[in-house]
Amino acid sequence: MLAAVLAKDRKAAAEFVARYADAVYAYVSRRLAPRADLVEDVVQDVFLVALQKLATFAGQSSVVGWLLGIARHKVEDVYRAQLREPDPLPDEDDMPSARSAVTPSLDDLIDAARAEEKTRQILERLPVAYSAALQWRYWEKQSVREMAAQTGKTEKAIERLLARARTSFRRLWEAS
Amino acid sequence: MNDERFFTRLAEKTDAVSGAADRAPARLKSRLYSVLVAQQAAAGPLRSLPATKAAGHPLCVFEHVLHVVPNERIVSMNPCRVCHARVLAEHFESPPIYWPHCPYVDFQRR
Repeated sequence: MLAAVLAKDRKAAAEFVARYADAVYAYVSRRLAPRADLVEDVVQDVFLVALQKLATFAGQSSVVGWLLGIARHKVEDVYRAQLREPDPLPDEDDMPSARSAVTPSLDDLIDAARAEEKTRQILERLPVAYSAALQWRYWEKQSVREMAAQTGKTEKAIERLLARARTSFRRLWEAS
Repeated sequence: MNDERFFTRLAEKTDAVSGAADRAPARLKSRLYSVLVAQQAAAGPLRSLPATKAAGHPLCVFEHVLHVVPNERIVSMNPCRVCHARVLAEHFESPPIYWPHCPYVDFQRR
């Protein structure tokens, strides 16, 4: 099918979209929550980049894996932009404190789907920079050093942002 | 459980369940298809409709009409660009388009 896409076969292009759009969309929409308004444009960018690079795709990974690799870079572009915006003003309750030692139990997360929904709802309620920082650090497993390098902030600033984001998240987690 | 452990576990747990969720809207698939084909058409002629048919892909009713025209430029053009099915499919999730072998109709069904 990829060869046919390269040969500009329009039906192959339709098959390419039909076969892979769900996986890319699912990944991007999860990673960009709560910014649902950005998801479709990012997915489109992923497919345009894929089309440009298709001739160089060596087939060493699966097509889905390759597309998700492109998607990961696009999502990181969004995180980078969101973290470059001025930090949201922390209210006093957001500051790391003894609250961080409170232990919200994951033991009751038997229903993983419910945890996913709860996580999504909390990320939607957080300031954009907080949700971007948390997702980049924990869901994308990006190091603090790399986040700092990519955003032009100091590691200390990223750590502070993450600390505030974690505290806010956990407060909402415990309350809901 | 400290913060690092909590968020690491939460990320693992929620990632494990979200794989099957979130199907792309048909409207988005339509837009993606339109953009890809437009991009390819901008860089030169598409694979001709007779060649597309010969490769085993059925043509929609409009492509079928065009594919017998003895003009290479016409059989390599992108008729979807001026088709109302494209416009409807890019803007509505279940548009009233029903004819067979139209990619925009197929996106609604998948």
